[in-house]
Amino acid sequence: MEINLNRIDYLQVGVTSQKTMRLLPAVGRKATQKVAVADYDGVITCFGMKKGEAVPVFKTLPGQKIARLDLGGAIGTPQEKIFVCAGSEVKGFTKKGKQFLSFEANLTESINAMHVSGADLFVCASYIYNHYCDCKDQDYYLSGDKINDIVCLPAENLGRIVPVLACQDRVLRVLKGSELLYDIEVPGPPCVLELYNRDGGTNGEDILYGTIDGKLGLIRITDSSSSSKWEIGNEKKKGGVLCMDTFDIMGDGVKDILVGRDDGTVEVYGFDCSNEPTLRFEHVLSESITSIQGGCVGKESYDEVLTATYTGWVTGLTTEPQQAEAGPGEEVKMSRETQSKVASLRAELDQLQMKVLQGREKYQQTSQSSTAVSAVPMFSVNDKFTLCQDDASYSLALEVQTAIDNLLLQSDVPIDLLDVDKNSAVVSFSECDSEQPNGNFLLATYRCQANTTRLELKVRSIEGQYGTLQAYITPRLQPKTCQVRQYLIKPLSLHQRTHAIDQDRPMNTLSLVGQFSFAEIHSWVVFCLPEVPEKTPAGENITFYFQNTFLGTQLEATYCKGESHFKSDNISTISILKDVLSKEATKRKINLNISYDINDDSVGHTLKMIHPKLEYQLLLAKKVQLIDALKELQVHEGTADFLIPEYRNILDEAAYLLEEYKKQPAHLERLYGMITDLFIDKFKFKGQNVKTKVSLLLEILDNYDLDSLMNFFNEA
Amino acid sequence: MLVPIFTLKLNHKINPRMVTIGKFDGIHPCLTAATQAGKVFIHNPHMRGQRQAAHRLSQSAQDSDISLLNINQAVSCLTAGTLGPNTTGDTLLVGTQTNLLAYDVHDNADIFYREVTDGANAIVLGKLGNIESPLAIIGGNCALQGFDFEGNDQFWTVTGDNVRSLVLCDFTGDGKNELLVGSEDFDIRVFKEDELVSEMAENETVTSLCHMHGSRFGYALANGTVGVYDRTARYWRIKSHSSLCHIHSRSGSGWKLPPKGTDWWNSDRTGEVIFKDNFSSSVAGVVEGDYRMDGQIQLICTSVDGEVRGYLPASKEMKGNLMDSSVEQDLIRELSQRRQNLLLELRNYEENAKQAVPGISDGDTQMGVIPANTQLQTALSVRAATESQKAHIELSISTPNETIIRAVLIFAEGIFEGESHVVHPSSQNLSGCVRVPIIPPKDIPVDLHVKAFVGGKSSTQFHVFEITRQLPRFSMYDLHVDPESPQPTGKVTFTINDRPQRVVMWLNQNFLLPEGIDTPDVTFTSLRDGGLLNISMLSTSGEITLNTDDIDLAGDLVQSLASFLAIEDLQAEADFPTYFGELRTTLTEVDEYHSVHQKLTAAIADHSNHIRNMLVQAEDARLMGDMKNMKKRYIELYDLNRDLINEYKIRSNNHNALLACLKSVNQAIQWAGRLRVGKPKNQVITACRDAIKNNNVNALFKIMRAGTASS
Repeated sequence: MEINLNRIDYLQVGVTSQKTMRLLPAVGRKATQKVAVADYDGVITCFGMKKGEAVPVFKTLPGQKIARLDLGGAIGTPQEKIFVCAGSEVKGFTKKGKQFLSFEANLTESINAMHVSGADLFVCASYIYNHYCDCKDQDYYLSGDKINDIVCLPAENLGRIVPVLACQDRVLRVLKGSELLYDIEVPGPPCVLELYNRDGGTNGEDILYGTIDGKLGLIRITDSSSSSKWEIGNEKKKGGVLCMDTFDIMGDGVKDILVGRDDGTVEVYGFDCSNEPTLRFEHVLSESITSIQGGCVGKESYDEVLTATYTGWVTGLTTEPQQAEAGPGEEVKMSRETQSKVASLRAELDQLQMKVLQGREKYQQTSQSSTAVSAVPMFSVNDKFTLCQDDASYSLALEVQTAIDNLLLQSDVPIDLLDVDKNSAVVSFSECDSEQPNGNFLLATYRCQANTTRLELKVRSIEGQYGTLQAYITPRLQPKTCQVRQYLIKPLSLHQRTHAIDQDRPMNTLSLVGQFSFAEIHSWVVFCLPEVPEKTPAGENITFYFQNTFLGTQLEATYCKGESHFKSDNISTISILKDVLSKEATKRKINLNISYDINDDSVGHTLKMIHPKLEYQLLLAKKVQLIDALKELQVHEGTADFLIPEYRNILDEAAYLLEEYKKQPAHLERLYGMITDLFIDKFKFKGQNVKTKVSLLLEILDNYDLDSLMNFFNEA
Repeated sequence: MLVPIFTLKLNHKINPRMVTIGKFDGIHPCLTAATQAGKVFIHNPHMRGQRQAAHRLSQSAQDSDISLLNINQAVSCLTAGTLGPNTTGDTLLVGTQTNLLAYDVHDNADIFYREVTDGANAIVLGKLGNIESPLAIIGGNCALQGFDFEGNDQFWTVTGDNVRSLVLCDFTGDGKNELLVGSEDFDIRVFKEDELVSEMAENETVTSLCHMHGSRFGYALANGTVGVYDRTARYWRIKSHSSLCHIHSRSGSGWKLPPKGTDWWNSDRTGEVIFKDNFSSSVAGVVEGDYRMDGQIQLICTSVDGEVRGYLPASKEMKGNLMDSSVEQDLIRELSQRRQNLLLELRNYEENAKQAVPGISDGDTQMGVIPANTQLQTALSVRAATESQKAHIELSISTPNETIIRAVLIFAEGIFEGESHVVHPSSQNLSGCVRVPIIPPKDIPVDLHVKAFVGGKSSTQFHVFEITRQLPRFSMYDLHVDPESPQPTGKVTFTINDRPQRVVMWLNQNFLLPEGIDTPDVTFTSLRDGGLLNISMLSTSGEITLNTDDIDLAGDLVQSLASFLAIEDLQAEADFPTYFGELRTTLTEVDEYHSVHQKLTAAIADHSNHIRNMLVQAEDARLMGDMKNMKKRYIELYDLNRDLINEYKIRSNNHNALLACLKSVNQAIQWAGRLRVGKPKNQVITACRDAIKNNNVNALFKIMRAGTASS
């Protein structure tokens, strides 16, 4: 089944955050729906389409940045009241634009997620969840990690409202009143939740979730347990999911899933007869999709997928076929509507141009004055720095509301910048002498092509080397300014939170005892490891589990006031932690009592874990090396039949092998580096310096064999 | 807009840039490309199974459409076209590092096989200037050579560096073709026969050239820049993400092919991308031809993995569908985008006006508020070498007040490793002044586009100051002279009919002088090698003497001065004793390498005969069941084989050394030419060439000194 959707741009508002555009329900017999969209300037714009032109219904005055927009109304009536949250305030508007509610939630932090259902209002501000009914406080919950989104299963079927929180630590938390009912692990940090079919499915129990690393799934939530219905991975490394909706855009009577991602991909998943979701349609807009909804906006009886993007474009992908009149000659005739639209736009542009010229002149004049200052307001940057599990590298995505002119990357730790195919910017590396007082290890400029509002980069870090990566972003906007963003490369940068670890592995333990508070030790852990909430957890003690995304080794961190224990099967992890923690403690002049318990089996165990990876990579490298020569033989002889089966096999699989090889550049070097670290660390704990033997180790690695490597580790 | 109409998988790797199409039987176009291991394949889908294998040509056993041509040497360039008179089909020309082969595919016969010592990096076929017969012109190491259909050497000249691309085009508009040469020293040179008409300096190796129409031609550089020149004026250029390997043009439009597997189609007027398609692997080349034999010319694109795609321009009714209403959508979108930008700018000014009231609040430190009258001062100066730093040009950038410079980005072409250089002091070393050392590797004028981030120490937002400074051509020369440094022995003398003031003007414009000078008699120290450069002028006779040991620099100076004073012809006398001494040694070396080369060739032929005998003997022994002897023979064979490989290595080293020497000889001729301007320049080059042909070393030096062979 094929579907063809055509893109129509409706209008542009200010920068929008996630889930800030909704379609109002259709009124009476009119089939087209109105759109409500809210932006960073605090303006809610409600518009409908008339003869191809966006006609505003109302527009509110600017105010604080709006983080969410939701629709509500008394249960049983059309959900057409507009609710927005800005700062710690929730406001309600009628569909005509009259404000009927202004509710100050009295939270110290600004609200970042909201759900409205009848008289019930649910708001979340970073770690806090609050439930109000008729603006009266009902329930309260403090989450262990940041709350990204909230959704509530409808009360109709269950008899009570069940809020579900999407938390950064890869779990969905199901609440009952102020208590946690249970939590559900999902494959990535969830950042959006949506009711399946907008009402939770037939039993009102199904919710859709989307994760920052681009996975999505459907989960059924019942009173006591949950079950995952399906899950879609992210093999193609598309962007993170920002918004979802359920709507029958295919027109086949089955509701489809609409997905908007932060790399600008819009997807439609349909369901086949086995009820498995399959991708039916994909379209790439050039910027993050912050909201998506199915409905009918542009023209009656043509359904469409309406999206809002980061820079505020409201764009429809409509089923309406686009008829273009190919006029005489090369030119395509413009419809009268577009012509008038273009004319009015041009007129407006001219006016603006005049105003801007005046502004520019004034600005120039101030430069003569000795007392005046020049201050340009901050422009908003949408950035994301995440660890990709598959290839153990970080991806940095930057998005600005206008075109980016250039980007300067600077790092004070050795990192590798990888090439991203999608990127059309011209990269240039500047030489930097790291010994100099400036201490730069990486200086690179990206000069962007016109109209690039979004940039994606890949960065590979080395565990144990920590510092900051800074990005200076200069947009094409007068007066020219640039903004710097900092990203921490943590000492154990390749680790990722998990919820359970294998306890049977041989573990090394590092214990710290000293006069430190719970908050202090927590801040050190935050400093060392990614994905740990910044806020000190509630309670006396806490345990976090981590997994090394590259090697698969694990780490358990348990700590409380005055005492902490770190367990890992990888001796290098322990060594890094020991170095960093003692350095941090010295900085604060805290006396630490460090003791460690090294399990010699752990080294062998780690080597055995590396073994299959290393063997595979070595074999792959060897095979890839042979491909060209074998192909040559095949061409020369005209046949490959005379070759031994092994070689014939390589020829048959050539394409696959090359692809595999390309996928993970420098994989082998990284493995070698980690084995070398392992070797040095093992003996460091024994008080021996074996750096002189590293060359011997590399020789052994060149003629790799697990036994000889193990022997070398044991004997040296 | 183009529509793909066919795709093929050839299962042969294709070397980048070595693809052509030829009608070898005069009717059927055949895709011809160089593949790995010294082979050329010809894809002929029109005449299935009618050919017999013979001589060089052998039918591929895998695919009956493909014939393979064994060259037995790594192919370095390839083309096809009409070379000789009275031939029915196109001639295939294959260049390698040592030879050029002209081959008649239809008759399966060699037309000629010539040794070319300078190698063949690029080849072009066509008529040049007044030479009547079409020539196959190859570009090698600093040399250009043209052969006619009999293999006669009809054309020869030298150029500045290794040739990377060639194209024939009517540059001057006189109805005759000129030869355009792109080389590794970043220059595009135009030759009207063997006379150098003009030179255009680019900032990277020129990897590809193509003729568009009239006097307009496209070029591509190794760093991904692509552009169009109309004569010597650049029409447009753009830079892309990935580097380019080949450009091709057709009816006013050109392809450019980044090896990343994308094709872009640029209109020649604006440089807009018209069409883009992705291949799974790098693109090897683009040709055009009527491959389906239906009267329509297709564009045929090949990837290195042997994938072939043909494209046709979209027809009228197709166009309507393909372009749909996106044109108007795009227009509206673009206008709205502009509106948004203006609104944002306006907001910036409004907010700024609010802030402009004095009284600084806390939020300001983040925003990077700076006094409105902040202006950056920049200064260029020459710094001699110190113990810790090499000699360099210093660009110092400073603010007049307490604001700091967070980072400085300099975008400039051709003087840094990439296109930019960044100075980013650590947070402890922030100050209002940044010094950037610059060492331009070549004497070229460069525009430095400086972007400085200015703000407070703890700001997260900075003001960006954009300044453009020009670095004069001869900036790496310092007026300070160490009195003990030896005087240069080399010199050039020539006479001009101009006032000394004009020369002074030239000096002030092209050198980095702290305060201007008023006399044309100056001495500089070169920052690169510490040598001296003396310029003096006799105001009475207008005779200028340049004293330097660097012949290349002398040539640059002469050319720069001549173009500044608009001199068309300039004769000069020169003497560079040290350099000429070196050249003399090189010339003897060339002779030595030549003789060694011949000896080795003989030895190898000898050995191969041995091997043949040995193999026969060994096989005989095997058939007779004489295992002992067979073993012995095979062991001997093994040893012999090893010897052969060793000998090959020696030969290859010898060859490389020879090539290096020949390159420097060619370069010497080029440099000697550059000491003169216009006609005298061409005379020198031609005379030098003749001297080398006749192996008359003394005459060569005489020409280089005096500028002419006679007297």
